[in-house]
Amino acid sequence: MAGLWPNYDASSFFDEMFDAAGKPRPHYRKLYTYLRHAKPDDLTQLQNMADISLLNQGVTFTVYSDARGTEKIFPFDLIPRLLAADEWDHLAKGIRQRLTALNLFLHDLYHGQRILREQVLPTDLVVNSPYFCRAMHGLEVPGGVYVHVSGVDLIRDERGEFMVLEDNLRSPSGVSYLIENRWVMGRVLPEILQQYRVQAIDHYPQMLFDGIASLSGRDTPNVALLTPGVYNSAYFEHTFLASQMGAELVEGQDLIVDQDVLYMKTTAGLVRVDVLYRRVDDDFLDPLEFHPDSMLGVAGIMHAYRAGNLVLANAPGTGVADDKAIYAYTPEIIRFYLDEEPILPIVPTYLCRRQDDLAYVLEHMEEMVVKPTDASGGYGLLVGPHATKEQLEEFRGRIQAEPEHYIAQPVQKLSTHPTLVDDADGRRCLSPRHIDLRPYAVCGMDGDIQVLPGGLTRVALREGSLVVNSSQGGGSKDTWVLYPEEGPSRA
Amino acid sequence: MLSRIAHVMYELARHIERAENTTRILDVNHRMSLERAYYSDLDVWSPILAISGSREMFDSLYSEISGKNVYDFLLLSEDNPNSVLCCLRFARESARMMREQISEEMWGHLNRMHMELAEVSLEQVVGKGSSNFNYRIQSFCNGWHGLADNTMVHGQAWLFLRLGRFLERGLMTSHILEIKYHLLLPTPDEVGRPLDLHQWQALLRSVSGYEAYRRLHKAKIAPARVIDLLLFSQHFPRSMRFCIGEVANALAGIGANTKAQRQLHVLVEDFLAELSGGKGDLMLAEGIKLHLDAMQLQCEEIHLQIMESYLQPAILLDEKGRELAFGRQAQQQ
Repeated sequence: MAGLWPNYDASSFFDEMFDAAGKPRPHYRKLYTYLRHAKPDDLTQLQNMADISLLNQGVTFTVYSDARGTEKIFPFDLIPRLLAADEWDHLAKGIRQRLTALNLFLHDLYHGQRILREQVLPTDLVVNSPYFCRAMHGLEVPGGVYVHVSGVDLIRDERGEFMVLEDNLRSPSGVSYLIENRWVMGRVLPEILQQYRVQAIDHYPQMLFDGIASLSGRDTPNVALLTPGVYNSAYFEHTFLASQMGAELVEGQDLIVDQDVLYMKTTAGLVRVDVLYRRVDDDFLDPLEFHPDSMLGVAGIMHAYRAGNLVLANAPGTGVADDKAIYAYTPEIIRFYLDEEPILPIVPTYLCRRQDDLAYVLEHMEEMVVKPTDASGGYGLLVGPHATKEQLEEFRGRIQAEPEHYIAQPVQKLSTHPTLVDDADGRRCLSPRHIDLRPYAVCGMDGDIQVLPGGLTRVALREGSLVVNSSQGGGSKDTWVLYPEEGPSRA
Repeated sequence: MLSRIAHVMYELARHIERAENTTRILDVNHRMSLERAYYSDLDVWSPILAISGSREMFDSLYSEISGKNVYDFLLLSEDNPNSVLCCLRFARESARMMREQISEEMWGHLNRMHMELAEVSLEQVVGKGSSNFNYRIQSFCNGWHGLADNTMVHGQAWLFLRLGRFLERGLMTSHILEIKYHLLLPTPDEVGRPLDLHQWQALLRSVSGYEAYRRLHKAKIAPARVIDLLLFSQHFPRSMRFCIGEVANALAGIGANTKAQRQLHVLVEDFLAELSGGKGDLMLAEGIKLHLDAMQLQCEEIHLQIMESYLQPAILLDEKGRELAFGRQAQQQ
């Protein structure tokens, strides 16, 4: 493979496009043929087109560590990631199973706590989690749905097996990029998009609206999206979703609770809010119940919620179910509530709170990823094989000081995908880069769970890097879920 | 629409209008000062500071009143929130937060002006450069109004922009007229003499009213008629009456849902009726300052009631109000 493909090595990891023998997988053949005939200059030009169009659209995010308000585009890689129908069906089934079980789990935790009484899960693990929300105890949430919107992170190991890495049950962001990516793809590479039968994803705002509105019990509920404001890193997504859903984009100061009903202050007077899709963290939601000095939330909103006059999406206190330590028990949770085997496996996880696990982790730190149980976004984690001696020593100290705050997992061999990069000589070429997948799902009334056929494929643009987070130099790819007519993933 | 967003629209418009009128006030002064031979010992700068009520702030920032300092204070000062620089920066920041409410063209127009202002130095705007700079700001503002009317959906956000624009313009026109009161003539027998007429003419030109005056009155400049044009004309787009008429139109478009809002509409209609019966000569006879003060108080009262009824309403819920709010659907923009 020459030209665009100098030394493409598809053999060290599971490569999405090529099998171990270096032959393109069946559902990738048309894309491969296109790329084989493409010239580096053409692709560079298309990539520039895509970047400009994202910048003009204002598809940007704010980097916290940067000076306030610096906006960057989320790097977009031109080469789409393809999922065959059989692969997708398996994933969607697994995600639905997980969310069903996790919603039951949350309901149990905030009511009878059967799972704790039967000692399937250590009680202290739950009640000491920073995300365990006492204000939710005994509260009946509309439709029994705690997790309305979720974005589970999936990875593929060296055998091509999909595994769950994280559940993301608080308010995961990124879905707007997924929709914009497809839109850009349609402008930049229509000729290849047209060759495939690809499932649509641009109905997501409608899907979200229908899901959360169905829980309100009113025929024409008023839906609003609560944003922390213009300086939040995901503000673009908030404006995007609000305008696409036809929901009002509100800040805490626009809302008021009177006699257990939530209202927004409009020029026509107060207007009742029935459904609030909130993108403000639990701690800031209600100064009367949580952080007393929060300016982002609404005083009394939990009263309205408790009175049953409001759908809050997602419910407060869902974070306890995506705690990284509780994650290790999710297969047990699925078996406990559904009496089924988990469809999607999880990554082997060592809890440093257990004596045996701690000893093992300290012994094998060089080959593991160590994560704090209460952080997200790829902050504060240690990738053993890439760490310096000092970093390893520093983490060793931290783990020993607070073992219950850390978990460790063997380094996962994330699958690779051809990605347009510059080689050492500055030439454009296609090179394998590690990727993951975050599909989004919406839970509505009567156990209805819609999984959006697609997802955000995040790609670690640095060679060899396994961290795909946008805050750590990651980019994204458009993700195409193909119709069954396009054939299976394996010949 | 959300009160917070309506408030931003309203303030955005007021700041742009304020920037434009500040340069218009400086224009009057510049034109009047060309005739300084008549009153070289007079302080021409104090009246400007007096009408904008910013004398105290000025004194705290500068050691002496001079042309250069006043220009700096009114145009480029970072410390004066009403300077042209600060007004337009405020407008740009507001627009940036509300990009989805205004058109792409409006954003581009405002953003370019903002970047241009960052490059301007005091030397470029005093003395010879002043006319050019003032003209640049005025044409920017009028371009903005044109874009707002021609590229934006004429919905609630647009109506709140107009509400802010015209209320501020009416108020500023009365301030511009007030300059004439503060600029005393050297002796009483100067009334009606060339210097007096020159001042009235400068005033007219600063509000783009000189040609309008000629066309409407086909007569020499008479103070009573200038007042008629600036305050009571139904057709001159910077007159107080015209502006309050537009405020009434904007409010009618926005609609009234609460008692406080209906009261505000009545207040504006009453003021408009009063202005329709206004007479320049009567006003001169009774004292121009007295009348201008009363009008400015009316504008101030309208502003306060707009705030209290639409933009930052006090929330008082009674049984009836709750019932209404409960069933009310959000107005989608």
